[in-house]
Amino acid sequence: MTATATAKEENRPRKWQSIVPLAAGIIALIVLPLSLSSPNFIRLLFLTLLWVTTSIAWNLLGGFAGQVSFGFAVFYGVGAYTTALAINAKVNPFLAFLMGAVAAAIISVFLGLPTFRLRGPYFAIATIGISEAVRVVMTNIGFTGGASGYRILEARAFQQFEHYFTALGLALIALLVSAKIANAKFGLGLKAIRQDEDAAADVGVNPYTNKLAVHAIAAALTGAAGGVFARYAAFIHPNGVFGFQTGVHILLMPVIGGIGTVWGPVVGGFVFGIVEEEIVASFPQIHLLLYGSLLILIIMVEPGGILGGVRELIRRYRGRRKK
Amino acid sequence: MTLIDFAGLLVSALLLAGIYSIMSVGMTVIYGVMKIVNLAHAGFMMLGAYFAWELYARFNLDPILAALLAFPVMFVIGGAVHWLLVRRLPHSDEPTLQSLLLMFGLWLLLQNIGYLIWGNTDRSIFTPRTLSVVHVGPIAISTVRLVVFGVAIACLILLEVVINYTWFGRSVRALIQNRYAGLIVGVYEDATAGLTFGLGIGFAGLAGGLLASLYSFDPDFGRAFLIRAFVIIVLGGLDSISGVALGALVLALVETFSIIFVPAGYQLAISFGLLVVVLIVLPGGIASLLAKVRRVA
Repeated sequence: MTATATAKEENRPRKWQSIVPLAAGIIALIVLPLSLSSPNFIRLLFLTLLWVTTSIAWNLLGGFAGQVSFGFAVFYGVGAYTTALAINAKVNPFLAFLMGAVAAAIISVFLGLPTFRLRGPYFAIATIGISEAVRVVMTNIGFTGGASGYRILEARAFQQFEHYFTALGLALIALLVSAKIANAKFGLGLKAIRQDEDAAADVGVNPYTNKLAVHAIAAALTGAAGGVFARYAAFIHPNGVFGFQTGVHILLMPVIGGIGTVWGPVVGGFVFGIVEEEIVASFPQIHLLLYGSLLILIIMVEPGGILGGVRELIRRYRGRRKK
Repeated sequence: MTLIDFAGLLVSALLLAGIYSIMSVGMTVIYGVMKIVNLAHAGFMMLGAYFAWELYARFNLDPILAALLAFPVMFVIGGAVHWLLVRRLPHSDEPTLQSLLLMFGLWLLLQNIGYLIWGNTDRSIFTPRTLSVVHVGPIAISTVRLVVFGVAIACLILLEVVINYTWFGRSVRALIQNRYAGLIVGVYEDATAGLTFGLGIGFAGLAGGLLASLYSFDPDFGRAFLIRAFVIIVLGGLDSISGVALGALVLALVETFSIIFVPAGYQLAISFGLLVVVLIVLPGGIASLLAKVRRVA
């Protein structure tokens, strides 16, 4: 009994262990772009931070609560279109991001009310259907330009740093939310739902309302990311922001990084962002091959993703040293 | 709408249902025996379509014959995939997210292989049969659809015979009904599962080859059909082969007749939306609905 207790004590990351790298990371993310000021590098970091945000958001529902969704493109798209419409209506852009987040959260409740009656893979399949149905409707709808896309007009100079720091701020908010949830009673309830819905209900965790709540939080973060992207790109179209690919990317990152942890999706988001924007730009013909084999490898070999793999290596290394 | 228009739509819905059922039956047998939702089904359909196209373009083989040849080839590929990956998954009575993500990764892989070999240009198979029609009274029926329908129905009947009258079929039915009871009475699970997986993938290839004669395709081919297949197998009750035919008929009727009420651009949204509605309202499929009605009556 005492032996397991001390083992747990050792495995729990000490506070400085997570705060030091976090602070170093934030400082690097502030200083690096300012000192290098290469527009292409900032663009890479900007997009990566948006991916990180969506990855963290997906992990709230898919990792903590165990509900795999292929449909996060819906929230990304709703956030992007809401922000775009608001900015064109001369709303303050930051208010517009908020509107995008709220709109995505509202949509998520409407989608969640019926679909959370389904369990596990059936929920996942339903989200494929929803995502594709929404995309088809958006390519046909009139007032946002349908398939030809929608343009955002802002009468001002393009300020890349403003976009970049917005994305950085959003990613930090997402990380904070994720860390808070992981340690709160709410997060424990979600973990209980992931392990056994019926047992969770027996001990007083309502799976239905908890799933709806975390879905809405995840959707709001994803919607805000979509809004920030829309303002940066200044042009969005349904097959981009609402595309099945977008939903797939959002799902891949946390799985690659390490599902159900606070830092896994962050690692996954960074790896994915850099791979997507740099390697794929040079070898566009193999990116699905890369993601597909990575997914198969992770499922078959190390379900904990990159983070789980690294932890396993550290554990083995320490074990050997003790001998 | 005149009566003749109505009859025309009815016939085309029926022909569509034949194609839809051959497309979904592979998923049903795999789900029934292994409880795996095969997201890679679309990828194997795409391979089948290109297989038929290659034989047609290179050797001028009849595309329908080529589709039939796709069956044994994809059967072997399916068996290999089962041996390499699927059999290593933990067994479960419920579909697991692990298997879902594995099959999804496989789909991405297959898509990329498709892009590497054939590029992203749309291909289509065009034979003299493509544009010819048969007149039955006042109704004109496309010949190629009629042929594809005939082949699909023949293969489904063959499958029913195999499932009902062979030892392999008995093993399959045993595993679908109750895996543990099947194991107790000596069903060799690994072999049955491997053969079933091959069978399912073989049917995916066959369906892809047949669809290649009707639609143009590229390596992303099959996503819309995959979602339709989901609707059909859920309507059919997930693991029943005759349920598939019923589900296919319902979906084909809904799609064909919705043209009257909804603009063509929204067609796909209907099938995709139907998937969600069916999953929520009819999780047990049409059979459970009929049983419920009977109980009430």
